[in-house]
Amino acid sequence: MTKVKSLADLKAMREKLQSTLDVREKAENPESLVQIKVAMATCGIAAGAKQVMEHMMNKASELGIAAVFTQTGCMGYCHAEPTLEVRVPGKDPIVFGHVDNNRADEILTKYVQNGELVEGIIPVNYETIDK
Amino acid sequence: MHVLICGGTGCKSSNSLQIIENFHNILKEKGLQDEVQVIKTGCFGFCEKGPIVKIMPDNTFYTQVKPEDVRRIVEEHLVKGRKVPELLYMNPENKEHVSDSKHMDFYKKQIRIALRNCGFVDPENIEESIARGGYEALAKCLSEMTPEQVIAEMKASGLRGRGGAGFPTGLKWELCAKNKADQKYVICNADEGDPGAFMDRSILEGDPNSIVEAMAICGYAIGATKGLVYIRAEYPLAIDRLKIAINQAREYGLLGENILGSDFSFDIELRYGAGAFVCGEETALIHCMVGQRGVPTL
Ligand code: FES
Ligand code: FES
Repeated sequence: MTKVKSLADLKAMREKLQSTLDVREKAENPESLVQIKVAMATCGIAAGAKQVMEHMMNKASELGIAAVFTQTGCMGYCHAEPTLEVRVPGKDPIVFGHVDNNRADEILTKYVQNGELVEGIIPVNYETIDK
Repeated sequence: MHVLICGGTGCKSSNSLQIIENFHNILKEKGLQDEVQVIKTGCFGFCEKGPIVKIMPDNTFYTQVKPEDVRRIVEEHLVKGRKVPELLYMNPENKEHVSDSKHMDFYKKQIRIALRNCGFVDPENIEESIARGGYEALAKCLSEMTPEQVIAEMKASGLRGRGGAGFPTGLKWELCAKNKADQKYVICNADEGDPGAFMDRSILEGDPNSIVEAMAICGYAIGATKGLVYIRAEYPLAIDRLKIAINQAREYGLLGENILGSDFSFDIELRYGAGAFVCGEETALIHCMVGQRGVPTL
């Protein structure tokens, strides 16, 4: 281990290490972040939701989007798997269906970053009870 | 995903180490060991309901987890994304399950300052501390401030001792700085002997690096090059973690000769107390450390 030599070194080191705690840091304050829930019930997984989620997580960190990914169970849209719900702070959640890697990229670059709508939106027909 | 498991003394005594081992084994069995990180943390402050297991990023707070519950947590929560309701904390007033700590009455009113890292970082890994800004205050003192400025800052902060007397810390440091001596020592009083007191332990076990950093800052301010921690021998875990932190800090050049490339050197040693309540008192403590009877003097 080379020794840390200055405040600047230490700060640089912190910057490098910070991402390892990202998952925890974000969990403390989920409301202020983009929340993406991926339906991961049997059919979601079968349709490849897991790969899409992984791809999307990488892409999000590449783009510098602060997002929290969670898995949820069945959202009831088996016909449109993989499905995911995206909640941008201050906006109503939107559900996207048939999400593959390309569409996942689009969702991030177009919808999350620029607020444009992209294809594949499923009209939301449910409400959640907020605790 | 990160699984944080409390490795504090409270939870350890109710088998949290076995829980950690089970997580490792079951995750491996499912091929998830790379995706899910298992971290042993310090005390969450909720020992009453321990062992505590926290799942990030959804901030799920499981209480009173038993080793045999681990399989369900992995299979249901980590794989399928469904929380295990029976293990969630139950609000004693309305009997409802609360899934994350943010919505628990116990945590709602808390703002953690000294304990900010407890239950959040892995206390045996200095890098997690650094990632949270650890040792930056020390670096700042050494590179941008004179010892006098550090003391002035301390006085301005209004920080006081947390014992009954509430002695102003800045004033204490100033008095020590003015005193002339060949060798000065910073003594950290980690002799927690009051019946039922269990909080020094929290910080020692959960965030030992902040103790190391703070002692070094104090040493710089008062002109001491040696630090001693007087700690109860009954706190084996706190001792272990403190030792790890000290060693890691040395490795990273944050303790020892020429800290952070400056000309300030400081190192820390531990002294064990035999568990006498009176040895928490300053003069008795010093007597005890030099090998005399632990009795207070005026
Ligand atoms: S299992 Fe996929 S929507 Fe029901
Ligand atoms: S020791 Fe686990 S919560 Fe305190």
